Amino acid sequence: MSAGVTTQPAERRLSLLVTVLAFALPVIFVLVPLAIFLVYSFFSVDQGTIVYAPTLGNYVRFFTDPIFLPVFWNTIVLCVSVAVICILLAYPAAYFLTTLRGRWRYALLMLLLVPLLMSYVIKIYAIRSILGLNGFLNKALVAIGILQQPSTLFVFNMNAILLTLSLLLIPFAILPIFLSLERIPQTLLRASDDLGASGLQTFLRITLPLSLPGVASAASFVFVLAIGDFLTPQMVGGISGFTFGRILYSQFGTAYNWPFGAALSVALAIVVICAILIGERFGRSRGTSV
Amino acid sequence: MNALPRPSTIFLAVITTLVAVLLYSPLFVPIVSSFFTISHGDVDWSSPTLSTYRALAENHDILAALRTTLIVGLCTVVLSVVSGTLLALYYHGRRSGRSILQFIIFLPFLMPPIISGLALLIFFREIGLERSLLTVVIGHTVFVLAIVYRTVLMRLQSMSRTLVEASYDLGATGWQTFWRIILPNLSSAMVGGAILAFALSFDETMITILVTGTQSTLPVRLWAMMRLGFSPDINALVALILMFTVLLCVLAARFLIPRQMATERS
Repeated sequence: MSAGVTTQPAERRLSLLVTVLAFALPVIFVLVPLAIFLVYSFFSVDQGTIVYAPTLGNYVRFFTDPIFLPVFWNTIVLCVSVAVICILLAYPAAYFLTTLRGRWRYALLMLLLVPLLMSYVIKIYAIRSILGLNGFLNKALVAIGILQQPSTLFVFNMNAILLTLSLLLIPFAILPIFLSLERIPQTLLRASDDLGASGLQTFLRITLPLSLPGVASAASFVFVLAIGDFLTPQMVGGISGFTFGRILYSQFGTAYNWPFGAALSVALAIVVICAILIGERFGRSRGTSV
Repeated sequence: MNALPRPSTIFLAVITTLVAVLLYSPLFVPIVSSFFTISHGDVDWSSPTLSTYRALAENHDILAALRTTLIVGLCTVVLSVVSGTLLALYYHGRRSGRSILQFIIFLPFLMPPIISGLALLIFFREIGLERSLLTVVIGHTVFVLAIVYRTVLMRLQSMSRTLVEASYDLGATGWQTFWRIILPNLSSAMVGGAILAFALSFDETMITILVTGTQSTLPVRLWAMMRLGFSPDINALVALILMFTVLLCVLAARFLIPRQMATERS
C-alpha cells in the first residue's frame, strides 16, 4: 500500500518479495494442485500403476457404467433434501431470533451457532448413537407409542445420512437467513401494517420475498457442504447408504484408481460450482450475499 | 416485527426450541457420559464419577494426537496470519488481477474439502513431498487462508485513509507507517482471524485424512477409533474440548465485533 512512497532499497526489495509472494502463493498451492488434479482425470491405471497417456476413458466409464450415474443422481437428491429440511427448520428459528430485542437476539444466535465448533467426528458418532437401535430416538418413539418396538429404520441407511447431515448443517442455514431477515427495514413492515395488512399478509408479501436471497444462500451452503461430505455416509450409511462422496473416497483407498477418482471429483466440482453460482445469483439480489 | 399475533410467536418459539434441542443433543451425549456410566442406552444417574477424566490423563495415544493437533494448529495460525495479512495488504487498493487472485484464494474454502484434499494429495506426490505433518500444515493453511485474508481485508477497508496520509505528512517512512499505524490498527482483526483459523484447523478432518502421514491429528485419530467404538475417556476429552471451543468462540467474538457496535447492540 505504500508502493509509491518507498525509496530505500531495503524497502523496495521487501515490496518486490511481497509482490512475488502475493502471486506465487495462491498459484502454487491452489491453482497448480487443481490443474494437476484435472490433468490426472485424463490418465488411466494399469495394474496399480498410473499410465500417463491422455484418455477420455474415465469420463466414458462414469457416463456408461450403470453404477455411477444413479449414485450421483441419488446423492444430489439426498443433498437437496438435506437443504430443504435445514431451511424448513432454520427459517422459523431465524425469524424468531429477529423478533427478539438487543442482547437476547445475539445471545440466542450464538447459542444456535456454537454447536458448529464442536468436533464434527464426535457429533457424527453421537448422532449415530441417538439414531441406533438402543438409541434415544427409538426409546422416545416407543414410549410415545408411535413404534411398537425399536426400529432399525434410522441407522445404516440413506435415512440415517439424511437425518445426520440435516442435524449437522442446520446452523449453516440459520446464519444467512437470519442476516437477510435482519436487513429488512422495519419501516416496510410498519407501512404494511398501517395499510391494513394482517400479520400473515405482511409476512407473505413483504418479509418472505425479501428474505428469499438468504434462503438461496442457505440452500447453496448446505447443499455444497452435504455433497462434499464423505465422513457422515461412511459412518452412518452402512452398506445401503452409498453416496458419491464415498465412491470418490474409495478410489483413493481400496479401489486405488486415482485418475478415475479425479474424474469423479471433476463431476462433483461441476455440481458444486453450479450450486454456488445459483446461490450467488439468487442470494445477491438485495446485497445479502454472505 | 410486532405485527405477528400471539399464536404464531408461540409456534416460532416452539420450533426454535426444537432446533436448539436437535443441535445440542449430539453434544449432550458425550458430556453426560463423561460423568455417568451408560449401558444399553440407559444413563445410570446414581453414581457420578470423574474416572473418565483420570483415564484420559493416562491415555498417551490420545494425548499425543492432541499435542499434534495443537502443533499443527499453531503452525497453521502463524503461516495463515502472516500470509493472509501480506495478501490483504498487497491486494488492498489494487485493481489489476485482484479479483482473480482473490477468487483463487477462496477456492479451497468454497470447494468441498475432499476436492482440495485430493488435489493437494496428488500435488504432494508429484513434487515428491512425503506425507507428514508438513503436508497437513500446508493443507490447513490453504484451507483457512481465505478466512484470515477476508477478516484483515475488511478491517483495512474500514480503516481511514487519512491515518496513513497523516503519518506520511509527519515525515514517517513507509516502514514506520506500517509498524506504527497500519499494524496496530489491524492487530485485533489479526487476532480474531488467528482464533478462527485455529478453530478451523483444530477440527479439520477431511483434508487431514487425505494428506496426513503416520502422525495423525485428534479428529483423524478419533475417526480411526470410531469404527471400534470409543472408550469412555474420549467423552471426557470431548467435554473439555467443548468448553475450550466455547471459550475460543467468546474470545473471537470479542475481537471481531468492534467495541462500539457491541455496546450499540446490547
